Amino acid sequence: MYSLLKPCKTSAAYEAIPRERFSLDLDLCEEILKKTCTIVANAGILLIVNDLCEVSVHKDGRLILKTDSGELAGEQAGRIAGWLMGTTAIQKSRDFRSQRGLHRT
Amino acid sequence: MVKLVSLISGGIDSPVATYLMISRGVEVVALHMDNRPFTDDKNLDKTLQLVRHLRVLTGSPIKTYIVPHGPNHITFARNCNRHLHCLFCRRMMYRIAERIAEKEGADGILTGESVGQVASQTLQNLTVVNPGVKIPVIRPLIGLDKVEIIEIARRIGTYDISTLPGLCCTIVPKKPSTASRVVDVREEEGKIDIDSLVETSLEGMYVFSPEAL
Repeated sequence: MYSLLKPCKTSAAYEAIPRERFSLDLDLCEEILKKTCTIVANAGILLIVNDLCEVSVHKDGRLILKTDSGELAGEQAGRIAGWLMGTTAIQKSRDFRSQRGLHRT
Repeated sequence: MVKLVSLISGGIDSPVATYLMISRGVEVVALHMDNRPFTDDKNLDKTLQLVRHLRVLTGSPIKTYIVPHGPNHITFARNCNRHLHCLFCRRMMYRIAERIAEKEGADGILTGESVGQVASQTLQNLTVVNPGVKIPVIRPLIGLDKVEIIEIARRIGTYDISTLPGLCCTIVPKKPSTASRVVDVREEEGKIDIDSLVETSLEGMYVFSPEAL
């Protein structure tokens, strides 16, 4: 789901970019993620959750992972992807499971 | 002695503006609007480091207010025009600064704004944020460009602190308005209870005495 993980320009966080264009229903994401994460805030246009680190989940699928550890950011992005994949929270999505290389780093 | 409430972030400009006015004999009270969870803890750390540095540099005691601003962002994002978000944010910061100025007996608000630096700081947008408050807004950097501001920041030793890692605000819209109209901003603000937001923000504030930093 997330094929690229790059540091934000401030180097204070990592950014995970979705492999394909899609949009997220953040209210549904909140319902799904609250089973495993702490919901920090849902601002309608982005959702902030806390799991291994704090993560901003954007409507366009981007994740901002608030950690300076690339390893942790990769693991966290993979966990979020795993929880959301195959749910109706992902709109206009292709079948991510059929894609090769679901990167976790 | 003139007293100003300085809106200070962890960035480059506001510490420079604050330094310049303290150098002119102005007494400063610092106000940091805490944008978490849309930023990270590092911004607050940087701000406190900057205030401490300015205190040591100028020998001027600086009382520092921290006011939560994250809940205000959520309210604006959920209810108002996305393109105007940075203007709602700025007008809210001014309103809170004005309230702290009243409490502190300060004469105005001090900011690090300069023309054209970011989308919300076009001349047209600056005229939109001004009517949000009744006291003067002092902008000592208004005509300086970034290179000139950085030059001063390096000279006074704030640059290295300001450029430490820190997450930029993540709720900034992709396409912020650069030429807003006050009538539009007011109409959008009419959808929410601004006074209540100000009061709630002030209820959550905390203060560092000059000695505490």
